Amino acid sequence: MNQVIHPRPNPIVAAMYTLRDLDVDVIVTHGPAGCCFMASRPLENAGVRIVTSALKDNDLIFGGGDSLVRTLKEAQRKFNPRTMAVVGTCASTIIGDDISAAIKRADLGPDCNCFAVDCSGCMTDNTQGAIRAVKAGLKAGLISREECERQISLLKAATDLEKQRGMAGKTYLSPAVSPTKMHVCRVIANALKEGKKVAVVMIAKKELAYRFADMFVAMDEARRKLGGQTLFVANMDGDLGLPRIRRYCSNINAELDADGVTIDRMVGGLDEYAVIGDRVKEAVDEFKPDMRIILGICHAYPDMQKDDILITDQPRQLANYLDQNFLCAVGEVSSHNMVMGAKGIVHLETADTLREIIREM
Amino acid sequence: MRRIAIYGKGGIGKSTTSSNISDALAEKGLKVMQIGCDPKADSTRLLTGNDKPVTVLDVMRAGREPTLEDIVHEGRNGVLCVECGGPKPGMGCAGRGIIAAFEELERLDAMSVYNPDVIVYDVLGDVVCGGFAMPIRNGYARDVFVVTSGEMMSLYAANNICEAVKGFKRDGYARFGGLIQNSRNVKDEDDLVDRAAAEMESQVVFRVPRSPTVQLCEDRRMTVISGEPGSEQADEYRKLAQLLYDRSENVSGGMRLGGDDDLDCDCD
Repeated sequence: MNQVIHPRPNPIVAAMYTLRDLDVDVIVTHGPAGCCFMASRPLENAGVRIVTSALKDNDLIFGGGDSLVRTLKEAQRKFNPRTMAVVGTCASTIIGDDISAAIKRADLGPDCNCFAVDCSGCMTDNTQGAIRAVKAGLKAGLISREECERQISLLKAATDLEKQRGMAGKTYLSPAVSPTKMHVCRVIANALKEGKKVAVVMIAKKELAYRFADMFVAMDEARRKLGGQTLFVANMDGDLGLPRIRRYCSNINAELDADGVTIDRMVGGLDEYAVIGDRVKEAVDEFKPDMRIILGICHAYPDMQKDDILITDQPRQLANYLDQNFLCAVGEVSSHNMVMGAKGIVHLETADTLREIIREM
Repeated sequence: MRRIAIYGKGGIGKSTTSSNISDALAEKGLKVMQIGCDPKADSTRLLTGNDKPVTVLDVMRAGREPTLEDIVHEGRNGVLCVECGGPKPGMGCAGRGIIAAFEELERLDAMSVYNPDVIVYDVLGDVVCGGFAMPIRNGYARDVFVVTSGEMMSLYAANNICEAVKGFKRDGYARFGGLIQNSRNVKDEDDLVDRAAAEMESQVVFRVPRSPTVQLCEDRRMTVISGEPGSEQADEYRKLAQLLYDRSENVSGGMRLGGDDDLDCDCD
């Protein structure tokens, strides 16, 4: 396999996001102060408290256990969490700090369920960190064995998908600058005006649904004004996944409902993007669309065509699509920061562009 | 399962002692696994006769995921022999290597596959970084013994190991079992080792007498138990093995006390 040298997500951060989805109140990164800070800040915006044991050179030499015990006690005093998780980092893992022992020493009492996630940045795939986190969550009694196994199989499928069709299969991808959304929105508006059938497919990864779902609202409005037919397919089954993910679904579905927008086919949960491609395609094929708009993890759709409209949030993924001549691909970059901590649908640039165009038509 | 760690200064005879203990226990019909935790990977050579066994880290260095067949070598009397191995001298981090090798054994579920009655960890005791302390932390070893002679540096290393075990005592895993004197005919040796043990608030649990039989067998790449089974020295090792067996705690479970083995969802 190619060596991948562009910046990639890391297992520690993957563990932290998974802990957020498990509704853990406080996450302690046991490592240097700056470790994972770019990921920690948006997680804090999403309501999770992130603290660090702030290891210094002396901790690396003499062991970081005492610093961790102090941090745990301080975090308990300050936040009084019901659940607290400690994630390992590269530094604490190399020196072999025993996180579970430090948790025991901190003696946080029966009202704080505190547990360790043994992970570092050097564990091959980033999803390994997420797998460690769900296993730790099972051990801590936060999820059932069944859910744990379900998560692990989904995470493995996500890794396979990224390696086969996504960014993890490429040595280096430069982040692409997105073309403006004018061109694709004109194509969409004209298709509807000509009475064509347009399928809008969202295969979103977790919280990004808050932004991609805006396309359904805009497309619903466009169809009402311009004509044509639409099919809305989304992976927002609210009965699947970890607690937080289910709440995303109920929030978004309730908002769409209030706007009078109906998702015609609900296929899978927000954590199932890697395994639902075939079922989504089946629903779309039945509709026999003239045009397809795919949002989210577009390459999870099994037969992307060159004239499909692809909307991704990842600048490197966009580069990957454009490199392969998917020329109707656009990027909704920085989406992730916008949806962290969101409680309702966040405007999508493509959707807003479409709204503007139909206003002028 | 008994989880015994044998520590000691380099060259003091821990591997010889460990191998004879393992061989003696296996001779009684027990299933024994000996895990060498020294980058030199020479812990189990008297059990297998092989000076260059494939180590866990050899396989990992080659970029492969080890299988149990790659890394568990069967020695005489069916002793299961594993060598952690290590990086080339002067490179990388040998301590991290020990941790990684243990994690591989756990990932491969070695203890449920072989179901040993006794695990014997043979650990280099001069260096006490996080990695080399691993067997006495994280629930790997329950009972820790230190091989020492009356030589000062050897007693110094023994004291360090004793301190380390005491430091981790509050975590509830390992406990210090005492000193095993591997006699070198130092002047007043018994007295010196006894005094050192008293200072550690511990005791000398056994004195292995000095015997040329050990070297003779070693030249043939054998333990005394297998090489000269009828010798007096073999009986001494049998007594030592029985004593350690009796003094160590039998705790059920996987490789680690309080480990993840009860979680049946394997990520591999």
